[in-house]
This record gives sequence, structure tokens and C-alpha cells, in this order.
Amino acid sequence: MAEIVAAIGVPHTPAFPALVAREGPECETARLYRTVREHLEAVQPDVLVIYDSDHVNTFFFDNWPTFAVGSTARIEGPNDENSGLPHAVVPGDEALADQIYAGGIDAGFDFSLTQKFTIDHSIMVPLHFVTPRLNVPIVPVFINGVAPPLPAAKRCFALGGAVRSAIESWPRNMRVAIVASGSFSLDVGGVLTAPGQRAGVPDRAWVERVVTRLGAGKIDQLLEETTTDQLRRAGNVAGEILNWIALLGMLDGRKPAFIEPQLSHGHAYGIWRWD
Amino acid sequence: MSAYTINEICYRCAHDPPFREAMKTDPSGALAGLDLSDEERGAVLAGEVGKLYRMGANTYLLSHLLRYELVGMTLPVYQERLFAAR
Repeated sequence: MAEIVAAIGVPHTPAFPALVAREGPECETARLYRTVREHLEAVQPDVLVIYDSDHVNTFFFDNWPTFAVGSTARIEGPNDENSGLPHAVVPGDEALADQIYAGGIDAGFDFSLTQKFTIDHSIMVPLHFVTPRLNVPIVPVFINGVAPPLPAAKRCFALGGAVRSAIESWPRNMRVAIVASGSFSLDVGGVLTAPGQRAGVPDRAWVERVVTRLGAGKIDQLLEETTTDQLRRAGNVAGEILNWIALLGMLDGRKPAFIEPQLSHGHAYGIWRWD
Repeated sequence: MSAYTINEICYRCAHDPPFREAMKTDPSGALAGLDLSDEERGAVLAGEVGKLYRMGANTYLLSHLLRYELVGMTLPVYQERLFAAR
């Protein structure tokens, strides 16, 4: 049977690859990603299921999904320029993607399906740091975190449970790690970005509250607090927290083995162990 | 009124290099033939990002105009206009 062996949450700040190249392996960002990468390497996943919010690069409003599964064997990215990462091909696990798609539909989550797509920095930046050889196949599960109306936090949490059931009911022997990509408070070129900045963290108190709730395993409380108004106050891409919330829906109340914020960036790094 | 075409213009500035180049050198020509009202066309050409935001444009997409410094966008101009529409 397929089994989940780890879950991690990471940011995808487009400037980080260049920052770490400049500042070296001992800078804070390099250290935090390394902590996550080392755990991932220790559990030897065969595939990564990645909760991600497309920044209107993969999809457009001609056909905008609230939830979508990406199922193809060959995934190119990044399809946007802001990370400076080279164009690359990441293997996709079509069979597991189809299992998650069908399992979600069966459980009442009416996923969109894409079998031809590219991915943006929000997947390529995390992969650059946690599987730098891009050799571990991925299954992207897209959650709308940037174009309101966003799906409700409780719905995303329940979706995580459905994805977990789909994975664990799959008869193939396979070790699956879960990745959530994104920030808790971030505004990029929007009305809440500080003057003179191109991006910023409009609601640092929210970031601190989220990290406290995650650390204490107070997930019910976090779901209550993750309201439409709260997400709006936290910035134009703050809906990325929904990726983390889908991940939380797979955890059976586990507390993180590691959770470390970078408050000035509005995000955190987290590890949940299965052993 | 739908912001679809305004968002599409911003999207193409990031994803369609020939279109982006045209938006730099001949913005009126780049927009010719696109499904825009006179008001929308004028707002895009004048870089009136506050107005475009009010019309329903997505701000992450609007920021592509700033990233590529199109229709007169610099950070101070972009923010002054966008913040005036808050």
C-alpha cells in the first residue's frame, strides 16, 4: 500500500535562490531549507504530493480552477521569470495523480484535471531547495490562493483528508511525502504592500498567530481564524496558507517536529514526522 | 464590465515576449483589436493602475506592468495610483 512518510511546509520566495547563491550555505534561509531537505532525504520518498497556488501563470481566467490535480509524466518550469531559475523538466507521477483525482471526485471534491501544464516559481523554488536534482516525481494539487473568492479553510482541510485517503487506499507500494508551498501573509505589488517596496508582509501578527497555532497543534482554532476577511487583510497572495491547511487535514492532529518562522517574510518552515 | 481583457494584457506582458515588446514600443498598436471599452483602453495606455484595480483587475497581475516598466510604471507612480484607489 502507498504510505505517507512525511509532510513539510516551505516558502517559495522567488528571490531565495539568488539570495542563497549570494550569501552561502550558512545564511538563515539556506539553513532552514536544509533542515527540511535533510528530513526529506532521510525518509526517502518516491513521490512528492505538492499543495500549491498558481500565481495565474499555469492557469488563466479562461478556465480558473478552485482545486485541480496535475497529471502528466513531464512537467516543465518555471513558466515565470521572477525566480531566475533555469528552465527544467520535473518528472510527474501520472498514476498517483489519477488516483488522487479519482479519489477526490469520489469523496465529493470535484477537482479539475490538467494533463498538460507547466509550473511556476511556487513549485520550482521549493524543489530547487528540497530536491535540487529534480529527480523525485511530483503530483501538484493546485488550490486557488490568489484570486478571490478563495475556497474556505475548512473545505481545504477536508480536501487534505480526501487526498490522504486516496493515497493510502492505493495498492502500489510507494512512499509519499507531502509538501505545502506558500506564505501566511504576503502582498505582491498590491494595495497592502508598504510604500517603496515591491512586496511585503501586511499582517505580521497573523503570521505569529498561525505559527503559534501550528506549533501547539491548535488546528480547529486556526480553521476558525482563517476567514475570508483575515486572508484579505494578510495580502493578495496570503491565500497560500490554504496549501498548509490542506496538509494539516492529513495529519491526524500530529504536531510539527519542527516549525520555524521568518516573520519578516511572512512565512515558515515546518516538518511533520510519521515515525 | 469584466476585467478579463485587462488581466489578459497583464498576463501576456509576463508570458508573451513579443507582446511585451510591443507594449514598450507601440502600446496603442499592441492593444489594437483587443476587446476593450474606450475607458479601459485609455486606462491601460495611461498606466492608471488604480482605475484598473477598481475595474476588477487582479493586483498580482497588475504588478507585471511594474516589473517590466510598461505604460510608464515606476514603483512610486504605480504605488501612488494604486493606493489612491484603496
